[in-house]
Amino acid sequence: MKKRELVGQPHPQCFFSEFPAESDWDAVVIGAGPNGLITAAYLARAGLKVAIVERRYEIGGGLATEEILYPGFYSNMHAIYHLMVDFMPAIKDFDMERHGLVWIKPNLQTAMVFEDGGSLLLTRMIEDTMDSFHKYSDKDAVAFGKLMRNWRRIVSEILAPATYIPAMAPIDLTVAMQRTEIGREMLELVEQSPLEIVNKNFENDRIRAFLLYISCMWGLDPRETGIGFYVPLLIDRGMNKCYLHGGSHKLAGALSREIVRAGGTILESSDVIKINRHNGSVTGVELMEGRTLNSDVVISSLDPHTTFFDLMDKKKLPTDLKESVERWKYDKWSFNTLHVVSKEAPHYACGDPWVDESFMTIFGFESTKQLLAHWDNVVAGKLDKNSLGGHATCESFLDSHLVRKPGNHISFFQIHAPYNLEGGWDKRGPEIKEAMLAKWEKAAPNMKRENIVMSTQETPKDIEIRFPNMRRGSIKHGDYTPIQMGCFRPNEACSNHNTPIKGLYLCGASTYPGGLVLGGPGYLAANRVAEDLGVKKWWKPTKEMEHYIKTYLT
Amino acid sequence: MNKEERYDIVIIGAGHNGTTTAAYLAKCGLSVCMLEERPECGGAQETCEPIAGVRIQPHAIANYGGSAPGWEQLELWKYGFRMDWKAGAIVPFDTDRYMTTSDGLSQVTDKDKMGYAKITGLLTDPPFFKDLMRATFWCPPHPPHVELNEHTIPFMQVYKQHQPDMWTRELLEWTMFDLMDEYLDTEPFKVNQAWIALVSGAHGHMEGAAIPALCSVATVMPPAVAMPVAPRGNIHGYYHALLRCAIAHGAVVRTCCPVEEIIIEHDRAVGVRLRDDATWGAKKIWANKAVISAVHIKPTFLEMIGPRHLDSGFLQRIKDLSLKGGSLYMTHYLTRERLRVRPKFQTPGYRYENYGSFTGPFFPNDSRELYFENVTEVMGHQRNLTIPPERAMYGMVAGETYAECHPQSTRPGVYINGPQWMLVPTPEYNVDGMDAMEDKVKWNEYMRKALSQVVENLDSDNIVQIIGESPREQEFRNTGMLGGSWYGLRCDRDQWWNERPLPELARYRVPGIDGLYLSHQSSAHPGGLCLMAVGYNLMHILIEDGIAEPGDWWYASPWYIPEKGKKSAIPSRPSSVATR
Repeated sequence: MKKRELVGQPHPQCFFSEFPAESDWDAVVIGAGPNGLITAAYLARAGLKVAIVERRYEIGGGLATEEILYPGFYSNMHAIYHLMVDFMPAIKDFDMERHGLVWIKPNLQTAMVFEDGGSLLLTRMIEDTMDSFHKYSDKDAVAFGKLMRNWRRIVSEILAPATYIPAMAPIDLTVAMQRTEIGREMLELVEQSPLEIVNKNFENDRIRAFLLYISCMWGLDPRETGIGFYVPLLIDRGMNKCYLHGGSHKLAGALSREIVRAGGTILESSDVIKINRHNGSVTGVELMEGRTLNSDVVISSLDPHTTFFDLMDKKKLPTDLKESVERWKYDKWSFNTLHVVSKEAPHYACGDPWVDESFMTIFGFESTKQLLAHWDNVVAGKLDKNSLGGHATCESFLDSHLVRKPGNHISFFQIHAPYNLEGGWDKRGPEIKEAMLAKWEKAAPNMKRENIVMSTQETPKDIEIRFPNMRRGSIKHGDYTPIQMGCFRPNEACSNHNTPIKGLYLCGASTYPGGLVLGGPGYLAANRVAEDLGVKKWWKPTKEMEHYIKTYLT
Repeated sequence: MNKEERYDIVIIGAGHNGTTTAAYLAKCGLSVCMLEERPECGGAQETCEPIAGVRIQPHAIANYGGSAPGWEQLELWKYGFRMDWKAGAIVPFDTDRYMTTSDGLSQVTDKDKMGYAKITGLLTDPPFFKDLMRATFWCPPHPPHVELNEHTIPFMQVYKQHQPDMWTRELLEWTMFDLMDEYLDTEPFKVNQAWIALVSGAHGHMEGAAIPALCSVATVMPPAVAMPVAPRGNIHGYYHALLRCAIAHGAVVRTCCPVEEIIIEHDRAVGVRLRDDATWGAKKIWANKAVISAVHIKPTFLEMIGPRHLDSGFLQRIKDLSLKGGSLYMTHYLTRERLRVRPKFQTPGYRYENYGSFTGPFFPNDSRELYFENVTEVMGHQRNLTIPPERAMYGMVAGETYAECHPQSTRPGVYINGPQWMLVPTPEYNVDGMDAMEDKVKWNEYMRKALSQVVENLDSDNIVQIIGESPREQEFRNTGMLGGSWYGLRCDRDQWWNERPLPELARYRVPGIDGLYLSHQSSAHPGGLCLMAVGYNLMHILIEDGIAEPGDWWYASPWYIPEKGKKSAIPSRPSSVATR
């Protein structure tokens, strides 16, 4: 889109002043998603004069709690399961409790229901999960208990703190991990695929399918090796998901207040059209409305294509960088989500009353074979109406505030889905929606038509329309594969959040350690900028990070 | 666990007026906590995206507050406030303007334009437009000892000073129609202005309401804001700047915190207790200096205070406050192609390829008889509209693009049209029942037919979706809009200025309960429209009571009269801004 001629100055007839056409900043952050907000909040409190610009009318990116079931119902349309509340430095550093943020961590975390009325539970308390596994395999129940005791240590002592410590080259990481037993155990996992890990440790197929879903639901390829360390992380975090009372957007609101209180400025509805450069260094950004923000530091939270190709002159980029952006692979699958308002909360047809109270309920899969077939389909651009499945959450069960019309419930059912669906979303969307409603009703018989007051479907195409830098519906801004993780995310030159272009930094989900509201990229980028500018850090690493640094890095 | 908290000021409700009040008081250095029951602040200043790429504004749209002192005093530009100035913005009366009637277009004549310019203060040098607006909206009602007459009422003082030939006793008795009959020319232009006033709060046909009604139309006109423009980021973008001003000065915001009770001890409001489903549980939040209710007046007194502290005579008068007249049924249309105006309604010289400007049709502006037919139906019979849709009056903002660089729809192949509003009975008084307008398929169709009088391609081939909202739904979404009333309470003579909402409450204080103040559009002069006015006016009272002590940035309304025995809100040392 073309830039307008003149907008930045008050109309000659106007009685009031507006934000100026040109302004000077110590740092400009592009994109007010979780990571952009975190970077801006740390730097603003460090004393820098920070502006953060956001294309949408509302900040938050994936931290979106919005009234899509209009009128009267709020949905968490992206992030809802907060996986890293226990470890995220920003939550402690900004004392989010002070902002009135309350995270709920239910014991009943994830259920899986089967057509014969059988069910499984993954709970915060290991023993409750073991109880549930006993229904199918005593051996697996015991194995789970034993495994999780170790995996919890791997997560809390290695994987979680490492999320907030700069990426290391694989060889250095391997050397460091040799120092401890759990380090060595983790290295062994790296070389196995999620499917291998699950098959090796568990014998019952339902338990395998359950744990495989939880391990891979955020985009791991079940058969890929080199990313096995994600299995303990995602299972452990899958047992510790938190819900932010009032909706995920509250985290964005709290971060924005930190920015504003520290003197920063937030500009929504501001499409950045260009990152300005002079003699190779960045000098600021230009907004479509005609305003210019001058700054020697620009921090982009956008995907690599947008940052490097859309906002800069592609021809003037270093060849390596250009090639790495061209090679970048977006998420292998996206989500298709059905949001509904119903008179009753979903009641699942199974023998375990705890299932209805679970934060997340998986259904539609009877076996690992069926689950793998669904994912294979999705990767091939297909959806089989008769054999799809996913996970559902009844949000109003945890949070009555999302419902403005008394006596109703709000829930969603989400499936993995291809961006490029065979036949096209426009044409096949309604049929997929019907299939999902039918599938939900099969699992929870009260979710029949008479019970459903309103429904709306958010396809992968819709995700991209709403959030254009979730390209191809990529909620993580790029796939999780061995060559796009760790120090390769988004490429070797940029994984430490600086870039070959002087003054340009990256802080989004396409940089190390990745997406899912880890708050990692934003935190690490703030550290990098502070170090480069010689700004005194007002924050200290968390105790988990300090322990990790002491054990493995010194 | 969080402990109970204590602030200087606790404000219930983070809509436009609560937040304006918070910004003013935080800027005075007071510790302020705002409690909002919804997950998101902003009240009626909201924007949402129900369908990916399609942004709508369920309530407020235009910036009526162009003349507010708040722009200078709160410096909203610092917090990112911007407008979207559209190329070719309409400058008051230098172009041909037309009104839409059943017979086609009716040209606004030179006499109309000159008359309108005169009564709104644009003909003098310098113009007194801004003074007129500020006198009408941005001045607290006078204390009870002041007799209200042509010498004391602020807007009368403005006419007396700047346009003496208009300064007559009758001006205080006139309806807006009387005023327009005196100074304007064509009937459709008058009907159009009266209808806008009707849905903006001050009824154009009510006696004594001539100037307030005129001003509530004029404040959304040039030069207050040059049309057709809207705040960047829409009306919620304006709100963001206001909220961030409050936050930057230290105000604390708590969402999902509905208030159950205003705690009153020894005839003094000392804090609030939260409802048990609040994020923080039913905690108490204490106020050292004041509790300010920025929620609707009815729940404030009937639910949060109640008969434990108030007598039944007073409570009855609160119950009787009229919600009539402000309930609107609203539709947005998503279409595959742009709406085409029927040939007989096409304005000469208007470039329809640029369709999507801020102005849509207001139709049909035929005559005041038709206006009264609509008013009678809604407010007299209190029944669902039985007027055929061809004769039903509506207004529409053709919201496809407010700004060329910031389209309302970024969804490929979809245009957004609307909102279109129709005045409908208030659900509480609807003889057909509270839920009488919940058959949205039926009412959406009624709205579609009404709009189809002017546009030719609003048919099933073109329509992707109709997003309709009934007054009852508006009340569910936004409890400040009780009865779906957009301005909270009817602005008739008994509920305006020194009588809004009741004479003894008109100065924002609550007699008999110290430390409790009112700051909602339903409970305070001048009411709604997102003017930053209630907060500004309330500041005078809080200075009188020794609660707020503003810095050099403050200036009082020039027409303000201090209460006897109280400190004056006029700074003893004129501030640099006030003298500018």
